[in-house]
Amino acid sequence: MTDPRDLVTDVGLLAEGAHDPGSPPAGIRRAPTGVDGLTTEHLVINMGPQHPSTHGVLRLIVEVDGEEIVAAETSLGYLHRGIEKLAETRRYNQLGTLMDRGDYVSGMHGEQAAALAVERLLEVEVPPKARWTRSLVAELTRIASHLIWYGTFGLDTGAMGQFLYAMRDRESILDILEAISGARMMFNYIRPGGVVADLPAGIDGRIRRFCNGFDAYLDEHHALLGGNEIFQARVQGVGEIDADTALAFGLTGANLRASGFGWDVRRERPYDAYPQLDFDVPVGTTGDAWDRYMVRMEEMRQANRMVRQCVDGMPEGDFTAKVPKVIRPPEGEVYASVESSRGETGVHVVSDGSDTPYRYHYRAPSLFACQVLEEILPGHLIADAVMLIGSLDIMLGETDR
Amino acid sequence: MLPDATVVRSILSAAGVHDAPAEETSLGLVCRVPGSGAPGVLAALRESELDFRILVDMLGTDTGEGIEITYHLRSLSRDEELYAKTALPYDGDLHSVWNTFPSALLQERETAELFGLKLVGHPNPKRLFTTEGLEPLLRKSVPQRSVEEVRQR
Amino acid sequence: MAIDRFTGEHSVAFIRSEQLFDLARRHSLWYLAFGIACCAIEAPMSASGPRFDFDRMGVFFRASPRQADVMIVAGTVNRKMAETVRMLYDQMPEPKWVVAMGACASTGGPFREYPNVVLGVDKVVPVDVYIPGCPPRPESVQYGFIQLQEKIKAQTEERLAARRHGS
Repeated sequence: MTDPRDLVTDVGLLAEGAHDPGSPPAGIRRAPTGVDGLTTEHLVINMGPQHPSTHGVLRLIVEVDGEEIVAAETSLGYLHRGIEKLAETRRYNQLGTLMDRGDYVSGMHGEQAAALAVERLLEVEVPPKARWTRSLVAELTRIASHLIWYGTFGLDTGAMGQFLYAMRDRESILDILEAISGARMMFNYIRPGGVVADLPAGIDGRIRRFCNGFDAYLDEHHALLGGNEIFQARVQGVGEIDADTALAFGLTGANLRASGFGWDVRRERPYDAYPQLDFDVPVGTTGDAWDRYMVRMEEMRQANRMVRQCVDGMPEGDFTAKVPKVIRPPEGEVYASVESSRGETGVHVVSDGSDTPYRYHYRAPSLFACQVLEEILPGHLIADAVMLIGSLDIMLGETDR
Repeated sequence: MLPDATVVRSILSAAGVHDAPAEETSLGLVCRVPGSGAPGVLAALRESELDFRILVDMLGTDTGEGIEITYHLRSLSRDEELYAKTALPYDGDLHSVWNTFPSALLQERETAELFGLKLVGHPNPKRLFTTEGLEPLLRKSVPQRSVEEVRQR
Repeated sequence: MAIDRFTGEHSVAFIRSEQLFDLARRHSLWYLAFGIACCAIEAPMSASGPRFDFDRMGVFFRASPRQADVMIVAGTVNRKMAETVRMLYDQMPEPKWVVAMGACASTGGPFREYPNVVLGVDKVVPVDVYIPGCPPRPESVQYGFIQLQEKIKAQTEERLAARRHGS
């Protein structure tokens, strides 16, 4: 067995030679100050990569003055698996398997982005039934992903009951997705040209039963966590991000919309069946954690509405366009993005005419959320840091790729 | 959705990049700038009437002769997208644009590390994803593990 | 109580202390809350959720390695993570076991060709049970834990047999 110390020599901020001991470490922007005439020391504390808030292997190095954070730095890379490099040896219809494992709780969105990029290169038209099916499974995945966010966000603030209720509803959705695609998590269902198989018979009854019950469940979830005054006291007014900061740091999705800027890829760059679906985009005002919570709860309600519309309005026809078994797109580059549960998930593909991509880049929305974390944490308490990571809905699989 | 190429060229000329090609490809409107001029050009594009306020994405590509950095800019007020590309030599300098677009902070660290470039003008130019001693993994010259290597694990 | 039906009322049971501790250990394996990647959603989260309910087997998570018996390595281990995994393993008190969950922790998984990925967590810590799958269903994880319980029982019997035969 190899000694892991032979594998690693750099453990981040505190490694020898990482910074000149005379000056503050890089990323630390404020110099230490004394308090009440006493000189107190600032401690540099490590949070992660193993911690009970199950957001993945995120490591935060914080400099604290007592309980208050003075500066913070994220240390990423504990899940760097090379999705971008491995994509250079995968065929175009295998890219979905890699994207499934990037943002692993909303796998359908990643697959959708990869498929859209290839379809734009090939200039192939996706038949209506495939487009409506993709929107259906994408919105179901959005609800599933937001339920995980809801469960773990409550865990971050100390509440444990809502996690089990969220998991119960998520299991119903995973049953539906398993009936459609065959798997609970790594769906591998959306391919360039459409989807891989038709919807099974009787699935619309199951989905309608789920939709009819889910609105009431959502009210229960909101009352359980959002109606709890301890949760409200911990979350309201904390972690405010104004719209300019959010835009400057590249935030998208619910994080950006909670700060007051209503940009949604489904509205601005429509794809699949979204032009025909009727939905509202919730927008917040102050950009604090409570607004992010409310925006996501409302997004679940809107997603439920869209799922019902997709089931009621599903057209007849082919579930996929005719694409060759081995896809060889013409040379060129393309960028395609979708509104995933975390923000704008984009795929930038450079094709050289062969059957594998020349360069594949995955624009991950959680990477920008990690950046803005370093900006907003100073001034908050350590307990707030845990809560803010949860409110930004960071998924390490796509951040590290 | 596509910005006007002549306006883009005039902004680039004002920023000091003359005769910059700005052509329409399958990607969109792509303009090329010399490597060290990227921060100035991006700042000019941001301040200009075209109002490219957001850096959506930044990536590097190993073209065989060097590393090509692509900046994907978006203008929200006019709903337009622009791609700016620079070509850098292997082990060259990547000049940071974080003053104009703070969203490039982590992406520049990642690109510099995975392609073996030197990051200039960045507040925290450390490695992001990998540990010390690993080669620039996204370069074409660095191979993936072979089947035999995996079988003999 | 139901046990009286087997043993008769007001009965007294004798058991070797070793077997009693082993029984207690097997049926209350507490795992370290340590999800690295996608498998973390299936093992620590779904398997402990209301449908698959790990708690009925006596299994639930502890935040600190000092209080954990089992470490479920759920996800791809890469070179940066390997030192952390080893550190956590060393911090767990004896007796401890490791379950390698999923293809990535067993042998590198779908990411095996990338040079940064360690080909299986058994290069870093000794593994007791391997659970294949990408990701394995929560029922598979629970089956893996049942196998671990059998293994612990078998290890205890071996120890007792060795001692009885005067070694």
